Amino acid sequence: MSHLSEEQLDQLIAVERSRESEPLNEWRTIAARAREEGLIRESESRPWASSQPWLQAAAAIILLIGGIAIGRTTIGLPTGAQSSPSTASVSTPAPEATAIPASDTPAALPNTTSFASVDEATSALERAVTVYQRASQFIAANNLSDRTRDSAAIYRARAEALDKIVNATKSALQTAPHDPVINQYYLATMGASVATRQAYTVGLKGF
Amino acid sequence: MPFDQLDLKRAILGDERAMGRLWSQHSPHIDAVVRRLCGDPELAADISQEVWMQIFRALPSYRGDSQFGTWAHRIAVNRTLNALRKIRRIAKLEIEIEDDSAMTELDTDRTFMAESIEQAMTKLSPGARAVFVLHDIEGYTHIEIGEELGITPGGSKSQLFKARAKLRKLLAHLVDEPSITAGKGKGHVASV
Repeated sequence: MSHLSEEQLDQLIAVERSRESEPLNEWRTIAARAREEGLIRESESRPWASSQPWLQAAAAIILLIGGIAIGRTTIGLPTGAQSSPSTASVSTPAPEATAIPASDTPAALPNTTSFASVDEATSALERAVTVYQRASQFIAANNLSDRTRDSAAIYRARAEALDKIVNATKSALQTAPHDPVINQYYLATMGASVATRQAYTVGLKGF
Repeated sequence: MPFDQLDLKRAILGDERAMGRLWSQHSPHIDAVVRRLCGDPELAADISQEVWMQIFRALPSYRGDSQFGTWAHRIAVNRTLNALRKIRRIAKLEIEIEDDSAMTELDTDRTFMAESIEQAMTKLSPGARAVFVLHDIEGYTHIEIGEELGITPGGSKSQLFKARAKLRKLLAHLVDEPSITAGKGKGHVASV
């Protein structure tokens, strides 16, 4: 029997080299495995915004608590550890203080809150975020007494510091994109940064 | 559509559509090398799943120093060879001549040649097949092959020489039967 020449074999190899085969699996098979391992997040266009209720809830709570804490620190009110939020809202000098029902404040939320469904928890979350936003706006709009050039500098310094933390956590997410702790820090810092810039903007108008 | 950096970031964050596009674009080449190294399509399908899981797991470590396809290809080769080692299919790096033959129905010259060489490759020992696939098809150097397979570059050259010699025998029918190489027809891998 004759042999294929080296050149003829090379020609066959070239044909084989250029040949691409059909995928060995269907995407749904690969996707199912990836989903099992947590490599796929259900939300596609907004990775943090939809089908990860626990993450969304954690982020929102951190935003809520962190934002309020920043607001209190910024305007010189006692922190939560020093007085209850409901007391603080009463002590706010502006008449609009009554615009936020006491029942909506964090202090009014029972520590043992439980939810029967994801929808119920999501609704509670949306209410909490709404309260947070209203509280932030209220604090920014009504705390005029302490505004000085120094406080503006403090705002700027804080915003710059928060930007560094945002960049650091963003970088950390490249290494550990699925780490819930890093995600929470990232989202919390983003929220604090936004709150600080809002307060700074409102503060400038009051100078 | 090329897989751009934005898609890559989305895939890292777990965006299924971006990951699907990544798979869709690169699976033909990635799966081809897995299939060639394995020889057995069913085994190749299983290993391919592992390969893609490893690619997705490793996405955050991709720094863009090389083309994504090159980077993923390396993972595919490493993962496949590791899997083959685990199932003891690559423990013995020597050529074992097998005498069996098989018939195959072919439609075109190109398909005939491609399937002939693919079929002939399955008749190489796992080690010889790995050396042949990596060197002659995937373009690895003997030094790189030596690193991948844990053999010397000289051993790799020796395996390649033997593999090519056996393939030339196995595919001899392509020149023995000019009617087949000249047109459509039935073909088979010759017995050696």
